[in-house]
Amino acid sequence: MAKRIDLPQGTLDLLILRTLALEPQHGWAISERIQQISSEVLLIQQGSLYPALHRLERRGWVKAKWGTSDNNRRAKYYELTKTGRKQLEVEKDSWNKLAAAVAQVLDESA
Amino acid sequence: MLSDLRYRLRSLFQRHAMESEMDEELRAHLDRQVEKGMQAGLTREEARRRARIEFGGHEQLKEECRDARGVSLIETLVQDIRYGLRILARTPVITSVAILSLALGIGANTAIFSLIDSLMLRMLPVQHPEQLVQLQIRNPQRANGQPFGTFTNPLWETLRDHQDVFSAMLAWESTPFDLAQGGAVQPANGMFVNGDYFRALGVQPAAGRLLTLTDDHRGCAGAAVISYGFWQQRFGGAPGAIGNVISLDDHSYQVIGVSQPGFYGTEVGVKYDVAIPICAAAQFDGTQSRLDQRSWWWLSVIGRIKPEINPAQLKARLEVLSPQVFSAVVPANWDAKGQENFRKRTLLTVPAATGTTYLRREFGQPLNILMGVVGLVLLIACANIASLMLARAAARHKEIALRKALGASRPRLIRQLLTECMLLSLAGALLGVFFARWGEALLVRFISTGNDPVVFLDLSLDWRILGFTAGLAVATGLLFGMLPAFRSTRVSLTSAMKGSQSGESERRVKFRPGKWIVASQVALSLVLLVASGLFLRSLVKLVTMDIGFDRSNVLLVSANLHTAKVAAAEQPAMFDDVESRLRSLPGVISASRSILTPVSNRMWNNEIKVDTPNPPSGDNALVNFNFISPSYFETMRTPLLAGRGFNEEDTKTSTQVAIVNESVGKRFFPGVNPIGKFFRVDPEPGKPAVPIQIVGLVKDAKYDSLREESSVTAYFPITQVPEHAEAQTFELRTAIPPSELMTPVQEAAASVDKNIPLEFATLAQQVDDSLVQERLLATLSTFFGALALLLAMIGLYGALSYLVTQRQVEFGIRLALGAPRRSILRLVARDVVAVLAAGLILGVCLSLATVGVLQKLLFGLAARDTVTLLVSVSVLTGVALLAAYLPARRAMRVDPMVALRYE
Repeated sequence: MAKRIDLPQGTLDLLILRTLALEPQHGWAISERIQQISSEVLLIQQGSLYPALHRLERRGWVKAKWGTSDNNRRAKYYELTKTGRKQLEVEKDSWNKLAAAVAQVLDESA
Repeated sequence: MLSDLRYRLRSLFQRHAMESEMDEELRAHLDRQVEKGMQAGLTREEARRRARIEFGGHEQLKEECRDARGVSLIETLVQDIRYGLRILARTPVITSVAILSLALGIGANTAIFSLIDSLMLRMLPVQHPEQLVQLQIRNPQRANGQPFGTFTNPLWETLRDHQDVFSAMLAWESTPFDLAQGGAVQPANGMFVNGDYFRALGVQPAAGRLLTLTDDHRGCAGAAVISYGFWQQRFGGAPGAIGNVISLDDHSYQVIGVSQPGFYGTEVGVKYDVAIPICAAAQFDGTQSRLDQRSWWWLSVIGRIKPEINPAQLKARLEVLSPQVFSAVVPANWDAKGQENFRKRTLLTVPAATGTTYLRREFGQPLNILMGVVGLVLLIACANIASLMLARAAARHKEIALRKALGASRPRLIRQLLTECMLLSLAGALLGVFFARWGEALLVRFISTGNDPVVFLDLSLDWRILGFTAGLAVATGLLFGMLPAFRSTRVSLTSAMKGSQSGESERRVKFRPGKWIVASQVALSLVLLVASGLFLRSLVKLVTMDIGFDRSNVLLVSANLHTAKVAAAEQPAMFDDVESRLRSLPGVISASRSILTPVSNRMWNNEIKVDTPNPPSGDNALVNFNFISPSYFETMRTPLLAGRGFNEEDTKTSTQVAIVNESVGKRFFPGVNPIGKFFRVDPEPGKPAVPIQIVGLVKDAKYDSLREESSVTAYFPITQVPEHAEAQTFELRTAIPPSELMTPVQEAAASVDKNIPLEFATLAQQVDDSLVQERLLATLSTFFGALALLLAMIGLYGALSYLVTQRQVEFGIRLALGAPRRSILRLVARDVVAVLAAGLILGVCLSLATVGVLQKLLFGLAARDTVTLLVSVSVLTGVALLAAYLPARRAMRVDPMVALRYE
């Protein structure tokens, strides 16, 4: 297994939003999905996932409803709202800018 | 924003639902994680263990979710308050002491502040008060350049008719009226107002109509507007009051209306009862009406600036206007030089949104100083509570450690502790508001002393006072709560869990902030003690100094023969008659009468001219006048130094003579014997200046105020008084308490004429009353100084007791190992001395740095007075040692066995 990287501050929200942009998901699935997609590189502190979800819900970027999961268990599904979708674009944009800027600096000094 | 609110509300009101949802969600996550582990081939137990480790503390996570949800703010606040109340109730004595000292501190601050508010900050309850400015006159001749605010009626009328910067103007004079027609005086606060007064202010009638321009013209009959309060009190608020006739000093006026409630007039400190137009003043004056007098200064004037005029334009316009206005109303009887100077006077304006009052000049600075004093008291009280909280926090060491171990975060614990402090300070503030209401009434009564009419201040609670008190409560809560909250939550879990508090070194460290708090309390109380010492010494100097007359056992009886309707020609003979009857009353040692009495708040002065080279001029030529009967100096016990006193031969028609005091001699006739010399006084228009011969020299006596630097006074025979002298005062030196003479005096006066109204006072009281400001400062600063001292000593005692309890075991061991008890005392004493010394040094520096602001209010001593400083330091040291004695003794008497058993 490749070495896992702790998430930089503030990127968890972006990842959650991105994950939910595909389809509504419950908490555990979100963390699994992020790890999968990132080829197991990004490690999500399970403890920080739920406070983040509650925070997003309070801001109105996601909304939650109870549904039934694959194996017929009740689960709380999170879904992106319209403002959440907009926020995702904003965060994506600023992340790209940041990443590009950091890359540029790194290239320069190399 | 809306979703946020909905979310918070839901989590607040559907708390149980949300809690269980959260539980279910987290459990489901855990289950899945366990399943995943089992699929990877782990045993159920191992999978569960790993999932739990990865997941972190369940409760902690839930708490974090609650925080993220944002509800917890309100939710935990309710929890914290409940818990805080329980904690506070567990130590009722400490809690009561804390609340009481806070209430005293906050109450005192609120009381002083609301006085400042009503006296200096509160806007008049009229339309757009910010547009109002008071007009004042600057006299370029007066060296000190202090402008004054009274106008003559011709000056006011000319200004009103020629100005173009004010959209409306008002003029008024406050004056007392007698409502009774004969018999005992029924005083009312009256006002002469211009016709436009109420309209200019935008005051509405509560009933009837208010005065208008048509009510105010020469030869008017007059009409009365009464205040809402007077309407309620005298007419029970009956609509029938309109149309009633009321009598003011025996002149009748019809009541035409009532002004709106809450309007007390434009002069702060006086609540007007009845207002009549300025034109009606003529009815009170006889032939020489003040309406046309060009040197009768009586009206105050306020203007409402036109919105389009800016301050610079206003100033420029008034500068242009001034010479025109003053030239039009030059007093005809002034000499050429005086007239020329009169034309050079200029008008200026000061803001009048908060009304006008002489009280501001007299009490503004003392109130600001008292504000500082009570601020310090509150600081000391805060320091006290902070050390109480520190000590208590130490006692709750284990509890806090336990809560931390269970997952409470430090901010959460700090919030809990601060909530307790806020509860304390809010309780203190609530109680303090009650103290304040009571204190304010007391203060107003204090300020009213010697004032007629009684001072009225609108002290109703307004947003400013409530805001001040609430702000104070929050600030004090934070002030005394911060340090203990931060310190006590910095616990090391391991040492706390071990059960006992750890080593000696840590204990000492913990006492250090306590020491600093006590030292700063000592320092602040020293500042207060020094201030109160200075005020007390000033007062004592004023009370005990030689004032040139003997104030004890003198009854003052004022009589007004005009009110008694005695013809002017018969008045002198009647006064003579009354004086001789009073002289023969049993218990009277000597009796005299005069126009003025010393320190009575009334004065009569004039410039005098002498024919010496380089005579004093301008203000230096101003001399206080009094007109007295022959036995005045004997009654007042003012020694006659040379020449003769007045006698029966000094009559209205004999040579004009005067007795002057030493200051007059020194100023006008330096190095020469003034007796036999002449001087002249500015005469009435059309009369020659008669030379007046000095026939006697008396010792200086205070004239207007005990604080006056020079008392240049000339006395004239009462028979030679140039104007009508219908009001005179008898002085009776008595062998019995003056009050016992009141009835005999009344009977004696009634035997001459039943209608003579008499007012009684004692000279001692009159002199005392002139020291209201000084007494207010001395009394209150001493009271608060003592309170501060008490609080500081409670602080010292508490901190030391705490220290002794903490080190009890150590002392026990030392004693058990054979240390003499005295060495234990030395250990404690070392702490006390260190704290005391630090506090005193800090306090002396603070005092020296700050007492300068008191200088203006002191009398006969410098602000940095060594004696006061030394006495304050010794008092503080003495009381501090007393407070330290009890805990120190307890330390010495520690029983080694009992102490050791603790460990």
